Amino acid sequence: MFGRVTQQYALMLVVSSVLVRIPGVVRHTVLAERAHTVTKKSAIARRHFLKRGLAAVGAAFASPYVIPSSALGADGDVSPSERITLGGIGIGNRGGYDLGCFLNEKDVRFVAIADVKAVRRAQIKDMADKKYGNKDCAMYRDFRELLARPDIDAVLIATGPNWHCTASCAAARAGKDVYCEKPSTKNIVQSLMLAETFQRTGRVFQGGMQRRGLSHFQYAVELARRGKLGKLQSVHAHPCGMGTEMSGWWPGEPEPPKEEADWDMYLGPAAWRPYNKGKMASAFGFEKGGGMVGGGVLEWGSHCVDLCQWANDADMLEPIEYNPPAGGQVIAVYPNGVKLVLREGGWLPLGSCPVRFEGETGWVEAGDNGDIVASNPALLAGRWTKVGGYPANNHIRDFLNCVKTRGLPRANHFVACHTHIACHCAGISIFLRRKVTYDPKTTMFVNDDEANRLRSEALREPWRF
Amino acid sequence: MLRMRRYVLCAALVALAAALARAAEQESKLIDILQSNKPPQDKAIPCKQLAVYGTKAAVPALAALLPDEKLASWARIALEAIPDPAADDALREAAGKLQGRLLIGVINSIGVRRDAKAVEALIQKLKDPDADVASAAAAALGRIGGDRAAKALEQSVAGAPAGVRSAVAEGCILCAERFLNEGKADEAVKLYDMIRKADVPKQRVLEGTRGAILARKSAGIPLLVEALKSQDKAMFGIGLRVARELPGGDTTDALVAELGRLTPERQTMLIIALADRGDPKALPAILEAIKNGPKAASLAAMGVMERIGNASCVPVLLMVALDTDEELAIVARGALAKLPGQEVDADIAGRLAQATGKTRQVLLEAVSQRRIETALPALVSCAEDADAGVRAAALSAIAALGGEKQVGDLVRILQKTQDANERAGVEKALTATTARGGAACVPQLTPLTKSGDSAVRVIGLHALACAGGPQALAAVKAALNDKDEPVQDEAVRTLSSWPNRWPDDAGVTEPLLALAKSPKTQHQVLALRGYLQYLQGNKKLNDDERLAKVNEILPLVTRPEEKKLVCSVLGTIGSARALEMLVTYAAEPATAEEACSAIVALAERKDLKDVAGELRQNALQTVLEKAKSRDTKKKAQDLLKAFPRGTQKATAPAAAPGKPGKLKIVKAVYGGLPDGPKDDVTAKVQGMVAGDTLSVDATNDNFGDPAGGVVKKLRVEYEFEGVKKSKEAGENETLTISNKGE
Repeated sequence: MFGRVTQQYALMLVVSSVLVRIPGVVRHTVLAERAHTVTKKSAIARRHFLKRGLAAVGAAFASPYVIPSSALGADGDVSPSERITLGGIGIGNRGGYDLGCFLNEKDVRFVAIADVKAVRRAQIKDMADKKYGNKDCAMYRDFRELLARPDIDAVLIATGPNWHCTASCAAARAGKDVYCEKPSTKNIVQSLMLAETFQRTGRVFQGGMQRRGLSHFQYAVELARRGKLGKLQSVHAHPCGMGTEMSGWWPGEPEPPKEEADWDMYLGPAAWRPYNKGKMASAFGFEKGGGMVGGGVLEWGSHCVDLCQWANDADMLEPIEYNPPAGGQVIAVYPNGVKLVLREGGWLPLGSCPVRFEGETGWVEAGDNGDIVASNPALLAGRWTKVGGYPANNHIRDFLNCVKTRGLPRANHFVACHTHIACHCAGISIFLRRKVTYDPKTTMFVNDDEANRLRSEALREPWRF
Repeated sequence: MLRMRRYVLCAALVALAAALARAAEQESKLIDILQSNKPPQDKAIPCKQLAVYGTKAAVPALAALLPDEKLASWARIALEAIPDPAADDALREAAGKLQGRLLIGVINSIGVRRDAKAVEALIQKLKDPDADVASAAAAALGRIGGDRAAKALEQSVAGAPAGVRSAVAEGCILCAERFLNEGKADEAVKLYDMIRKADVPKQRVLEGTRGAILARKSAGIPLLVEALKSQDKAMFGIGLRVARELPGGDTTDALVAELGRLTPERQTMLIIALADRGDPKALPAILEAIKNGPKAASLAAMGVMERIGNASCVPVLLMVALDTDEELAIVARGALAKLPGQEVDADIAGRLAQATGKTRQVLLEAVSQRRIETALPALVSCAEDADAGVRAAALSAIAALGGEKQVGDLVRILQKTQDANERAGVEKALTATTARGGAACVPQLTPLTKSGDSAVRVIGLHALACAGGPQALAAVKAALNDKDEPVQDEAVRTLSSWPNRWPDDAGVTEPLLALAKSPKTQHQVLALRGYLQYLQGNKKLNDDERLAKVNEILPLVTRPEEKKLVCSVLGTIGSARALEMLVTYAAEPATAEEACSAIVALAERKDLKDVAGELRQNALQTVLEKAKSRDTKKKAQDLLKAFPRGTQKATAPAAAPGKPGKLKIVKAVYGGLPDGPKDDVTAKVQGMVAGDTLSVDATNDNFGDPAGGVVKKLRVEYEFEGVKKSKEAGENETLTISNKGE
């Protein structure tokens, strides 16, 4: 009975009382105006902050280029002083894969793991020690101890999504560069805070949207960006789920010793609830998409919407109108009129995370099996490599290069910010079951008190941005 | 009309009033829950709902939860979101009473809400003995900003305890940012300068330096240069970042001037930063690095050509593309292929005429990679160059870009070419261009078919096959009577794989049927295969026509290889006779697998109107008995489930009628085993048991995805003849339990 309150339940409560629509807006008019006065001013200032100094930076990810690795000292024997010293925070299954890619890079030295689970700490230490033939990998229960080490240059964060943004920002404030698994944020304000923090600190952020580093997706995106499909009309993303939920309490169980499994640290910025073994095991699902409008389209959306943003040359913005699901689709509209279509069905058999870009004269579709299909075979006459299985090694190399050059990697903090805002806006539209309109200038929804209150969620003490 | 409008307006107002009343009532219910004696778990979700729909009325109930360790975080979700100033009042009041983590939470919320009225109280908290409380206050003051907060933070930096100083400095940076956004650059600079010179953690110094440069705009250039000159790696790093952020041509000039003074390694980094700026003013310096810079810098400079290069870069890249250092040469060629702009295409195409030797080869590669179709006439000239390397590169480029217009020239060149390797290059270009040009190319190929050189005639056949169409087919048929046997053989081979344009090229069936009766075994086999492929691929044939043609050719089919092809064709014919024939083929070990696969393909079709259920059942039972492929067997098992239970025939391992089965699935779970999220899929797996066996794919298609991003497992616990056992299969593997329980 104390399980999560689903969207259906939440809506049942509020719709029955007609708090949702007109009354809510009217009743809060005066107060909302005040709220908008404060929050809007803050949001506009934030927007200015993000834009300042971006004239040059904007071009940095228009078309990624490849610097020969030998130019950056990543080939051959790398001297210890030129190595990138890496730490890990919350490394589970996916993180273990990422770490394997990092360990394969000659200019990386993994020296420490922080995890709330003792078993995981030991597993990762074992993996690193076996690689280096020593016992040097340090273990921490509290990641702040790892971040306090001045010898660590960068961190791999692969906790559950609950921690991604909060831990990333903490790492940036501690002077570390960050490779963080997706989804990067839990809500709109977290997305903005992520971009602000990494801009302010000058640290490097790479979100785990590794499909940006795969040749066939890049090729499909280039077809759209270079007008080979005619004027772009729509970009399509597979979200792999469109349910939303407001996360709640759950039945408590006896809490294990902190050294074995630190529940308080696991909960982190999420609202307090009693220990539950099952919930602790499901780190990836816990609060994915946030505690207010959880889930949403973030599962594959953070990958597929990201590619759609890129294809529409929209790395520094997001759609402005979001319509609730109809006919199995959520349709959002960019300022340039291009439609972002989130749909579960109707895809060619190209594996997971498919995307499709449609222009006036042609279309292209690509997916995780490494193939591309286009309306005209001539579109595929250029150079691309079929790489199936969405490996992250290119993406990780891109991050490591940027740690050295201080440039912006492909899925940098701006990219991650706007991709996730697009996903969160879609989630809010799904949650409210109605159209919402987002104003990128103010980073607020237009005349929509309910939607604006879903932009953020207080972090549990003592965590902050 | 006016009356109607009044009516509508009144009705809307009444509805609105009613809705408002209901909304207030609902909020009141949520507040009642918070103020009741209900356990905390009942109060959590109401807090979140009030975050979206709460008003001033909800604030007292929420504020009362702030001292509650379990519910404070839930209450603050609502208090941060409710716009009414009453929420600020409540948080301020709580800040005066709470301590430790709960106080920190309240201070954080005050910072998020930017409550200016809290500034004095927060300034007092800067001196709190709890370093975490003082740090939270410093950060909150930074978020609120303003003269008073900035001054207090500034004054606290030097004297703050070590554990608080970083947060105080962070607060200063945040205040400076806000000043800058408000147009108060001087005040921002003052704060940034203070931090970059203060005894604060390194990261804060870097942030102060970055801010101090950007806030000064052009006047910050000397500070930027200073950072780039710094021996400190982190300071150089922040310089590189700001080098990308500080706009203006004078910034570019200063960075370019600094480029030559840096170490080779740092030159590389600055070149990349200059490219990220996208300012063409940097281009000459980057080109100079390509020509005369250290190797690493040269490589990096060529790497950024895709971003910043233009046609003026072509000569330098051409020069390096011929360098004896292979790595430099390869990267230069890659850069030529990626230089942006159509003017680059024109430049490269224009240079082809004058260039010779290796330079011409490099240009031809670039033409091919950049797909410069306007250069095709020049490519044809190059294909007759005196230099063999140039000729080969040109033919390769024609193969990539050419079409019908180049076919005549290629035919002419082929006739002049004697060297076998060169002929192979011409053939490659010819087949690629005729494939693009289609049937319209055929007249141009006539000289090849009439050549006195049999090798040329064979190449002609290949080109004709790529072109396709009735005229090409006639020419290949004519070659069946060629004076030379190798040409005849090639003509048969060509006909047997007459490509890809069914049913337009249906005329090929006549010579194939004739050849199928040929006394020459090789011709017979090739013709049979070609004919069967035609039968399978021609969608214009209906089932009856296709079956009749299979029967017509059947007496000639004797080898298992061709029988397998017959099975494939039969698998496309939706008739009872086809199914019966497949059952016969399934009995032959050499063709059993193909026949079983075809039976399954047929049996799952929903349009088999004239095929009795019993025949389908029998055929599927045959598959269970004869097929070796697990996939095929599983499909047959699944299809058999569609038949009423009483009508299913018992297969060898099936349980005896009326008796409980030997295999009992006790529990099945799918997900991130052992500790990850998983779903109970017992019922689904129980439904997949066939007889006393199980064959199930551990896939998301079957069980959904309970643990995204995780490699999952399927674990099945079962009893076989009363003995408890279990089995596991990894994601995308097949879990099987045999009729012996293994």
